Amino acid sequence: MPARLLEAAGLAYDAGGHRILDGVCLTADRGDLVGVIGPNGAGKTTLLRLVCGLIPPAEGSIAIGGRPLAAMRPAERARRIAFMSQDTGQAFAFSVTEVLLMARYPWLARFEGETDADRERTRRALAYVGLAGFEDRSFTDLSGGERQLVMFARMLVQDTEVIALDEPSSSLDIRHQDRVFSMARELARERRAVVASVHDLDAASRWCSHLVLLDRGRVAAAGSPEEVLRSANLDPVYGVRTLVSANAAAGGLSVAVMPERLPDRGLRVHLVGGAGSAVNLTRELLRLGCEVTGGIAHEHDSDEKLWRSLGVEHCAVGAFSRIGEEDIDRAAPLVEAADLTVLCPFPVGMGNLGNLRLAARARRLVVLKPGPGDMPRGFFAEEGRRVFAEATAGADAFGYEQLIEELKRSGKPPQPR
Amino acid sequence: MKQPSASARRAVVFTVLGVGLAAALLAGVTVGAVRVPVVELLRMAARAFGVPGVPVPDAMHVTIITALRLPRVLAAALVGCSLAVAGVAMQGLFRNPMASPEILGISAGGSLGAVAAITTGLASASVLVLPAATAAGALLAAALIYGIASVRSGTSLLFIVIAGMAVSSLFNGLVSGMLLFSKQYEVNAYLFWTMGDFEGRSWQHLALAAPVLLPGVAALGLFSRELNLFTLGEEGARSLGMNVETVKRLLLALSAIVTGAAISVSGPVGFVGLLVPHLLRLLVGPDHRVLVPASALGGAAFLLCCDLVGRTVAPPFQIRVGIITAVLGSPYLLWLVVRSQRRGRA
Repeated sequence: MPARLLEAAGLAYDAGGHRILDGVCLTADRGDLVGVIGPNGAGKTTLLRLVCGLIPPAEGSIAIGGRPLAAMRPAERARRIAFMSQDTGQAFAFSVTEVLLMARYPWLARFEGETDADRERTRRALAYVGLAGFEDRSFTDLSGGERQLVMFARMLVQDTEVIALDEPSSSLDIRHQDRVFSMARELARERRAVVASVHDLDAASRWCSHLVLLDRGRVAAAGSPEEVLRSANLDPVYGVRTLVSANAAAGGLSVAVMPERLPDRGLRVHLVGGAGSAVNLTRELLRLGCEVTGGIAHEHDSDEKLWRSLGVEHCAVGAFSRIGEEDIDRAAPLVEAADLTVLCPFPVGMGNLGNLRLAARARRLVVLKPGPGDMPRGFFAEEGRRVFAEATAGADAFGYEQLIEELKRSGKPPQPR
Repeated sequence: MKQPSASARRAVVFTVLGVGLAAALLAGVTVGAVRVPVVELLRMAARAFGVPGVPVPDAMHVTIITALRLPRVLAAALVGCSLAVAGVAMQGLFRNPMASPEILGISAGGSLGAVAAITTGLASASVLVLPAATAAGALLAAALIYGIASVRSGTSLLFIVIAGMAVSSLFNGLVSGMLLFSKQYEVNAYLFWTMGDFEGRSWQHLALAAPVLLPGVAALGLFSRELNLFTLGEEGARSLGMNVETVKRLLLALSAIVTGAAISVSGPVGFVGLLVPHLLRLLVGPDHRVLVPASALGGAAFLLCCDLVGRTVAPPFQIRVGIITAVLGSPYLLWLVVRSQRRGRA
């Protein structure tokens, strides 16, 4: 197997008598955007600084293009790998162009001045990061986000085949954050290898081709975002309960932190939903630490999608198909096992009439009143109104907030009135 | 500020500095207790170049110019240039507009070297001893500062000032201790030296100092690009491929030697290394490739003017140049502190 462009193996680093990085491997090939993730203090920045040769490793080796970093002179190293630091501090009021031209240092001989080609390069880099016209602005007068973009442009001017970004989006708003990641991926596609430490796990899943999860200086998991971003990997490292779901809107994955599950809140709630009527309640109940089941929903319905992505046990039928008796029987065990069943405010038609019959089997049923933002509970068939009345006879109706308050307060299903 | 106007501005500043330096040199040799007319000066120059038919200048004037004033103004220019360039280097190195040889205690180190040379009597053994001892003391202080700055790489203004104060008081204490055990005439010799002046500076002083100062200043100028990179922080400079530790040691050593050799000529003249670069940075910008030559010219002109003021402001007394720079420099330093406080960057 040919050597990867960036190959770091068995890296260890000591600081203040502690081993803060141990046995870490990191490889990146042309076209890769490798994200280094992990909690604060896991060693992400240290790893990047080691890889860039800014600090010497206690153990291990780093090679770029098969050539050991330790054998390179500083200038050669800087022609092959660039580092974008979180710190953009600057003591003196250099112009943006002057700051960018500094990145030509490793390419210039001792008495060589910058050429017009170098100046042209700085102009192009500035335009690329969206700061055209900033050439003569004073660097110290820029906002934090603008400085970070200038630092990104500086890396382009340095023109290296390996790029290391330390929290490239830390001081950027969401628009610029997205821009920086898409530029990083573009650089990777231009046959460079890009390594970035990233705090935002959602962004990491969306933009990175590979992820390395660090835990107190060791690699806890490495691989594709789907392989690494799993609760089984994340929970022990971050020390929280996470919920990983497909991010339907932006693509990639979405990692949410759940509160500690309290033993006495382990309430089992079944949501009879559909048409997105159970989305908010599903999230809120999971946050409260309830065990949630769902159904019956139609496939590709937004409730069903959410349940699927959250790993909520649920019962589904094919899109547009009618819920039949056998489906109700299939879903019944979920309803019967639930301490509380909530009938969500979905519009009732012939297709989901079965859901009302299912609700009738609940041990304890609560009818959720449509909130101010919801559509009113509609009935597309007279039969629906009748079945609804039958199924909910004796059940209490709750508003959304009211129900949540009640659950938070008592941790038990609301008592019948 | 557009690019052309920035370079135009630099051209103006350099022209003003060049003309100012020439004017100061001219004034320095003509003005004084005995006024030498410019015509006499031109005659001397013409005769020196062998132009025929030029009237012979007055013999006394020739002596005053060649034996007294010329070495004096050249010494002032050389020392001013050296101290200003050493100041630029320190400020760039520590990414701090307040760093300078005197604030970092390097001048105090030079003083310690000087007093050691004077009190041990070695200074009278050879004219080389005082400059060498001064440079050695300055180097010692620079090594201390290097050690302190290496322990904590973040060199905030407060940290540098406090470290410099500590080094300064250590060396000043040692100086006082040495003076306690020395003879009255040695104390006088030292005190005389500490006030800083160019009176009685001869060609010999220049011949000793120039071979150290001129190459030293030139060498510091060659590191302009590195000084620029230091403003990115040491890690930033390292990531761009600079051999940071080597360059840092070299620049500190060069600055210390230049400072030491300069103050061995003039005595510890304060504030030149702080005031001149800072003022010029406001005018030409922070790029050291421009700032270093500008400071070299500006430092020379500034110290020449201070010397001139000292000689002419209260005749027949001569106010020592160190007093003039202190009187001009202290308010400026205060203004600098107040301004950086206001900007919240202290």
